[in-house]
Amino acid sequence: MAKLTTRVSFIEGSLGVLLLALLVRSAQVQLFQGARWSAEAKQARTEHVVLEAPRGALLDRHGTPIALTQETYHVGIAPNELRDPDHDPEAIARALHLPFMKVEDELSRHYAYFAGPFTAGTVQGLRDVRGVHLEPVLNRFYPSPDFARAFIGRAGEGGQKPSGLERTLDTLLAGTPGAAVVLKDRAGREYDSPARRLQSPVPGNDVELTLDAELQEIAQRSLRLALEKMDADGGDVVMLDPATGEVLAVASERRDGVSRPSAFIDAYEPGSVAKIFTAGALIADHRISLTDRVSGENGKYKMQDRTLVDDHPLPTLNLADAIRVSSNIAMAKFVTRLDHDDEYGMLRDFGLGTPTGIEFPAEASGRLALPKDWSRPTPTSLAIGYEVSVTPLQIAAAYGAIANDGVLLEPTLVREVRAPNGEILYRHQPEPVRRVVSPEVARELRQLLAGVVSSGGTGASAALATFTLAAKTGTSRQVVNGHYKAGAYNASFAALFPADHPQLVVVVKVENPRKGSYFAAETAAPVTRAMLEQALASRTVALDRARLSAVAPAAGVGELEEDPGVAPYVVSWPPAHDTAAPAPPRPVPDVSGRTLRDAVRLLHRRGFHVVIKGWGNVQKTWPAAGAEAAAGSLVTVFGDTPQ
Amino acid sequence: MVLKGRHWVMIWLLAFLVAAGSVVARQTAALRIARALNQTRDSLSSLQSRRAEYERRIRQAASRSVLVPRAQALGLRLPADSEIVIQPVPDTSGP
Repeated sequence: MAKLTTRVSFIEGSLGVLLLALLVRSAQVQLFQGARWSAEAKQARTEHVVLEAPRGALLDRHGTPIALTQETYHVGIAPNELRDPDHDPEAIARALHLPFMKVEDELSRHYAYFAGPFTAGTVQGLRDVRGVHLEPVLNRFYPSPDFARAFIGRAGEGGQKPSGLERTLDTLLAGTPGAAVVLKDRAGREYDSPARRLQSPVPGNDVELTLDAELQEIAQRSLRLALEKMDADGGDVVMLDPATGEVLAVASERRDGVSRPSAFIDAYEPGSVAKIFTAGALIADHRISLTDRVSGENGKYKMQDRTLVDDHPLPTLNLADAIRVSSNIAMAKFVTRLDHDDEYGMLRDFGLGTPTGIEFPAEASGRLALPKDWSRPTPTSLAIGYEVSVTPLQIAAAYGAIANDGVLLEPTLVREVRAPNGEILYRHQPEPVRRVVSPEVARELRQLLAGVVSSGGTGASAALATFTLAAKTGTSRQVVNGHYKAGAYNASFAALFPADHPQLVVVVKVENPRKGSYFAAETAAPVTRAMLEQALASRTVALDRARLSAVAPAAGVGELEEDPGVAPYVVSWPPAHDTAAPAPPRPVPDVSGRTLRDAVRLLHRRGFHVVIKGWGNVQKTWPAAGAEAAAGSLVTVFGDTPQ
Repeated sequence: MVLKGRHWVMIWLLAFLVAAGSVVARQTAALRIARALNQTRDSLSSLQSRRAEYERRIRQAASRSVLVPRAQALGLRLPADSEIVIQPVPDTSGP
């Protein structure tokens, strides 16, 4: 019995010791190591994750998306978790549009990983497949990948730096990442419960660009076709609104396919396109009267350092003639009336030799030497667009100043910045750089430029039938590695559309056209005309048609593009084949009393061109109703309410 | 009636079961809602992805590089500027 009591006491004692040890250990764990064990437990059961912030969208001026952010996925697969290892790989390969062999090969490993990224639509069918783990990742998406690619740039995924506008606007577009905590089980799998957000991600701002998607497409396509047709090395197009400095379209194409924003970063000698700036200095400084004439030297003028040649020689020329036929000789003679400082000052005031300040990571400033660094032929060279280098953007901005009554504006690509809640953070206002010339001088310069597109001018091939254009051609030798390359030329054309109250500045540059002529009049000028015709025919292009309608009738009538014997027509659907037989003269229908729209439709159906004066109902036409007129000829319709 | 000890035990047990049941029910509901939320989020993501894809296809189909050659093949052409008549808008600002 005593033995039993001893045994019980021993067991009791042992249990007491164990209990004490347990208490001591508990006290140690809870009181002294509590914080550490708590942290370890938390770490084992929870995970901090960074919540990516969606990048803001890039939109064109009409809200058309240019760059968007969308959720995409990387796909991980644990082969041992698959319910149906025989059939699942095939379903996975089909869903991800991957070769079955590749999927099967990956699944032979411990864990298969497909980086993709795959869109939500692609992985939709895999969401319920056991063993498939989707890792969401935000991805930049460009609905039209070729849209102004060199200028828009890329958002720089995969550790790369952003480029182009994506880079310049990065601080606006990139949002602020958030943070969250998710719960995990013992095996490290996340619970199917919402993450606890420590900080919500703040999406980036949306940026509305000044670009007009329609005009941009017109510019890109026209340039591409022109380069193919002319077998040129490359080219640029810049279109901007002279009243605001907003760049409406910018395209740069290279024959080798390299995407680079050459309209902003490649400076070249503009040639005769720059003559108008010297003309501006001559007029502004009252160094010339528009009636002053100089000899054309029969097209060849030997100077001390060089011999100048005119491609369109005239016996004598005034300033208007010099601009119209792009006379090097006359400009060389006129420029002697200017001081070096005055000539330099005007070129500088037009923005040559300085960056325009557009929002872009890189922009060439071009080159314009100080007068102290000039050599003897420099003033003449500058007057005809040599010894100065500019970018197409600088030319567009400078011509914009002529269009904008003499005020140079800073060109811009950003129209509006909107916060994620729709609040407008920034809206572009025209930013004047300086007044270059007075409104009167600017008007005279526009008249000089309008002469270029008139009959006998070097830019006549760009003339439109119902709208006047003010423009200048420029064909200059191409510099390669510091030397003029034999037989290589840059053809450029700068135009204001329309000549009165311009709404559009268009600059076209074609590098080294090989097929056909290399002159700007036959290369860059027709491209400009084609683009303007497409812009006019498009309903969405950012043109003020109310103002255009007021300008068009006053502009007179140019030559018809078609053979006058063929009437322009509206093609019905499905189209009937064109008989194209020369149509005989026909009587002008009586449209008096009809609405303008009805009258225009009827006259078009009868094969006439129409110009409208006034508004309201039709009062009369000229030629009058009943008179015979050739098909394709112009009928002026007078509304009963004069303009 | 005087509550005896076993009654109190029953009451406390019942209270515990009710409390535990409500916790389980709430958690079950929360998980169900979380699952539905995830599914909705996935659907939204999928729909956005499809919208983006359709947008891309529409832009491509409506682009000049596609439309112009097709129109030309049908005998259509771009109008010259002389064939475009912009009708003047009445000035409504005056008296």
